Amino acid sequence: MDRRNFLLAAGVTGAAAASGAGFWRWLEFPTEIRSPGRQLGHLLRDRQANPPPRAHYRTDVLILGSGAAGLTAAWRLAKSGHSRFIVVGGPEPRGNLASGIAGEARYPTGAHYLPLPSRESTHIREMLEDLGIILDGAQAERPYYDERHVVHAPESRLLIDGVWHDGVLPASALPAAGSAEHQRFFSHVDELALARGSDGKRAFAMPIAASSADAQWRALDALSFAAWLEREGYRSAALRWYLDYTCRDDYGRGADQVSAYAGLHYFASRAGDARNAERGAVLTWPAGLGALADRLAQAAGLIRADRSDARPAPRLLDGTAVSLRQIRAGVEALCVTQGAGGLESYVVTARRAICAMPLHAAGRVVEAMQDFGFDPGEHLPAQAPWLVSNFVLSRFPAELPGATLAWDNIVLGSSSLGYVVSTHQDLRVGPPPRTVFTAYHALAEMSPGAAREWMTRASPAELLELASADLRTAYGWKLAACCERAEIALRGHGMAVPAPGYLSNRGLQALREADGRILFAHGDLSGYSVFEEAAWWGDRCARRISSA
Amino acid sequence: MIDRILILSVFIVASCGLAYELIAGALSSYLLGDSVLQFSSIIGCYLFAMGVGAHLSKYVRDEDVLARFVDIELLVGLLGGLSATALFLTFSWLAAPFRTTLYALVFAIGVLVGMEIPLVMRALHARSAQFSELVAKVLTFDYLGALAVSLLFPLVLAPRLGLSRTGLLFGMLNVAVGLWTIRVFRKSLPRPGAQVLRGAAVFALLGGVFLVSDRLVTWAEKGLFGDEIVHAVSTPYQRLVITRWQDDLRLYINGNLQFSSRDEHRYHEALVHPALESAPWARSVLVLGGGDGLALREVLKYPNVESVTLVDLDAEMTRLFSTSAPLTALNHGSLADPRVTVINQDAAQWIEHSEQMFDAAIVDFPDPSSFALGKLYSVPFYRLLARRVAVNGYVVVQSTSPYFAPRAYWSIVATLAEAGFRTWPYHAYVPSFGEWGFVLASLQGPFSPPQHYRIPMRFLDAEVTRGMFAFAPDMPRPAVEANRLNNQSLVHYFEQDWHRVIR
Ligand SMILES: Cc1cc2nc3c(=O)[nH]c(=O)nc-3n(C[C@H](O)[C@H](O)[C@H](O)COP(=O)(O)OP(=O)(O)OC[C@H]3O[C@@H](n4cnc5c(N)ncnc54)[C@H](O)[C@@H]3O)c2cc1C
Repeated sequence: MDRRNFLLAAGVTGAAAASGAGFWRWLEFPTEIRSPGRQLGHLLRDRQANPPPRAHYRTDVLILGSGAAGLTAAWRLAKSGHSRFIVVGGPEPRGNLASGIAGEARYPTGAHYLPLPSRESTHIREMLEDLGIILDGAQAERPYYDERHVVHAPESRLLIDGVWHDGVLPASALPAAGSAEHQRFFSHVDELALARGSDGKRAFAMPIAASSADAQWRALDALSFAAWLEREGYRSAALRWYLDYTCRDDYGRGADQVSAYAGLHYFASRAGDARNAERGAVLTWPAGLGALADRLAQAAGLIRADRSDARPAPRLLDGTAVSLRQIRAGVEALCVTQGAGGLESYVVTARRAICAMPLHAAGRVVEAMQDFGFDPGEHLPAQAPWLVSNFVLSRFPAELPGATLAWDNIVLGSSSLGYVVSTHQDLRVGPPPRTVFTAYHALAEMSPGAAREWMTRASPAELLELASADLRTAYGWKLAACCERAEIALRGHGMAVPAPGYLSNRGLQALREADGRILFAHGDLSGYSVFEEAAWWGDRCARRISSA
Repeated sequence: MIDRILILSVFIVASCGLAYELIAGALSSYLLGDSVLQFSSIIGCYLFAMGVGAHLSKYVRDEDVLARFVDIELLVGLLGGLSATALFLTFSWLAAPFRTTLYALVFAIGVLVGMEIPLVMRALHARSAQFSELVAKVLTFDYLGALAVSLLFPLVLAPRLGLSRTGLLFGMLNVAVGLWTIRVFRKSLPRPGAQVLRGAAVFALLGGVFLVSDRLVTWAEKGLFGDEIVHAVSTPYQRLVITRWQDDLRLYINGNLQFSSRDEHRYHEALVHPALESAPWARSVLVLGGGDGLALREVLKYPNVESVTLVDLDAEMTRLFSTSAPLTALNHGSLADPRVTVINQDAAQWIEHSEQMFDAAIVDFPDPSSFALGKLYSVPFYRLLARRVAVNGYVVVQSTSPYFAPRAYWSIVATLAEAGFRTWPYHAYVPSFGEWGFVLASLQGPFSPPQHYRIPMRFLDAEVTRGMFAFAPDMPRPAVEANRLNNQSLVHYFEQDWHRVIR
């Protein structure tokens, strides 16, 4: 090769390499890592000196926390005519109901769906009717829903070896033996769904407080779901993967770490019917359950108060409680907030308080927690950490030939939990200007503590790699070509794990019954984490207060 | 002798080169419309690529000239020969970006063709022909070849063989030149054996495709159209193709016939007049879809109508139907009427947020063939629509065929009923569609089919109207569900019903 040819060849190779590098650079997108509530939350843990209070609020009822429990309590108080209450938002306003927005497109950064409520979930049905989501027959066997909010077809699909199948566990994708076992499992849980205890209550009801206390069913809480499946002879790999998936999806841990009662409760408790949707349908919105948070906040008249504004409540204050104690006339909370010039603090005194924050926080905030019968060291359920990752896309990535995007898209065998499409419920024919895919990952492959530690240590690239695993399996590099940015929310204390024995946690039982100056309301009280449970405790506290 | 062979090659090579260019140009203006732009950009790209090829040819070493020439012939034969077939298939069956494929192919072929003549010249020069004579001869035959093809292509080849087979034929000619060169110069080629094998393989491939290409092309054209394409655009939402055959103007959206000017009056009279004749008090009318302005044309015939709002997703569609002369002649310039407001927005989005009220609504959406379109025929959509229409006003919905897709049709009726409407289903015979269905609906108003029409009609009279609201025994009403977003049963009905018809 002479010199000129060499230069030419070198030039061509260089250009190719440069355009290759350019291509990969083009495929990069900005990724933002958020740890909701972590900074202020750790303030509590580390107990720094607090600045002297700047303001003092007095109210009748103080609600600490603005997640599902806090908002439901506020909604119920407002509904029953209360106007003197204050909600302190906490380090993460709206908690697991938080959502984000990209242009017009909203997306969940936490919870995203609500199954049609069963007969026992009277509180949810009443709420949905109040919020205009149930149009008729809220407490009837089959209410009539506003169909815009019932998940639209196609609901879900499963990627198996590079081919999408309709549904989460399609019979077409199972070997014959597997599908027989699959049927056996589902008729088994259908029976359990109808089973009732000697107290007349359903064996598996939502809220868990409405379930039968019969020892026969409670005995299932003594072993793990995986052990139960083994005992009952459920061995099909696909079925086991699917059941493990449901545990990770709902409880943040695999079937081997979750109580058999909880594993079955997932299937047997969801018996919500509707006149205009199929059994087992779910309600969802672009912002996920953030839509319920919006509506609840509106119905409760929570208007963000200006710090200098002395007009009476109802209102919502920005801030995190660092201490809550009982005083002679009632309760007193010291709260901090991030002001323009650094941390600021204020005091709220009230007749009663609803502590609607996670129990790991309550353990630090509430003075003399042990006096309520709850010893954090002993009774605090393990907390499963979660990664909720939103990919803002300027257009839909190309699907495999013949495949149609569903609302929930799952990859068989993956350790992630698939992705949901925020614009799925849009009434529109043309493509939206933007869509957001939300990918979920419960770090079930590590112990909760190790996972939290890993999350603080991991580089953005490592987090992104984990967060985008299913999307990359589904779309390859085409994902990045459509992606404007990604936002990963690290929820270190995402949800309480219903480990074997969770039903007999005495500390939780004690907190549920607290009815003095301080009441407790949080999903954690149920020992597992779904919207209905959190709302149940919020509702119950508010009812207790307003009927007193 | 040898010289003569090379010169003959020049003739063939040149004709092949021009043929590929013509094929690409013709094919792209056929498929994409706008022939002037297509042709000139294809030619530009091709000539530029030839320049690149000519430049690259200097990097071929003198001793390799013949071997590379043979390689190039085989490659051009393969690429050029298959180009038309490949483009057809890409266009009709693949999601691959057609334009990118087109220009990439044209460029690649151009580069290869551009190398041919310089290499032949060098080969001849090395065999000591006199240079001045050589240049003259080569270029003469080059241009002669071009002339031959430029006449043969439009007069004989394209009409007789079609673009696809013409391409394959020229491909085989290129390969033949390659093989012939190998035969004649086998002594001066380093590895003639391997090249013969390769050449034979390419030749066999092209021949094979030539034999089945008829079937391939019918397959590829299944979604395409027989008639002359007057206009074709791909908008962000859909592909609009307008064809003309004699006095018949047709609009296809994504390959589906929307209307034929021969009988669209039947469709649009049936769609609009039973409702509007029954609402002489109607002042404001809503038209959803219908960006062709034809339903609008019928609506505007009523002097009592003071304002019409037309919502169509596709701005390109309404622009086309308000600017193109043959199309405005067809819709009587309805889109430019001062009573009309055109809104280019997703109808489903618009209706969710609009607060206007109307006395009548004409809903003329594409058939519910996908989950996205199915949302426009759902209970929630009709509930939103109900909020926009006066309680005694009328809504009409084009509802696919009660004859071919009975379950889909009656599911739309059930859906309107579920959303709180009283319904009056009817149908009309539109030759280019077959038996076609509509549903008239009202929240509270009474309705009976009009006995006469205030404005002159081509299709409708009292007799025909009465017949439209009666369903023959061979069009019974099946038991079907309303279309809920949760299961979109309509989309399944539609797919299954039509699948049975088309098979
Ligand atoms: C990733 C993820 C996905 C989920 N998906 C679903 C789903 O799809 N469907 C479903 O039903 N459930 C889902 N869940 C569970 C469900 O979201 C929760 O059970 C429920 O929202 C919990 O509500 P909460 O009010 O009990 O608590 P949280 O949402 O934890 O809210 C706690 C509130 O307390 C506040 N707070 C904390 N510390 C303080 C303090 N010191 N002072 C004052 N306030 C404080 C916080 O700011 C926050 O507002 C999901 C959970 C996670 C983690």
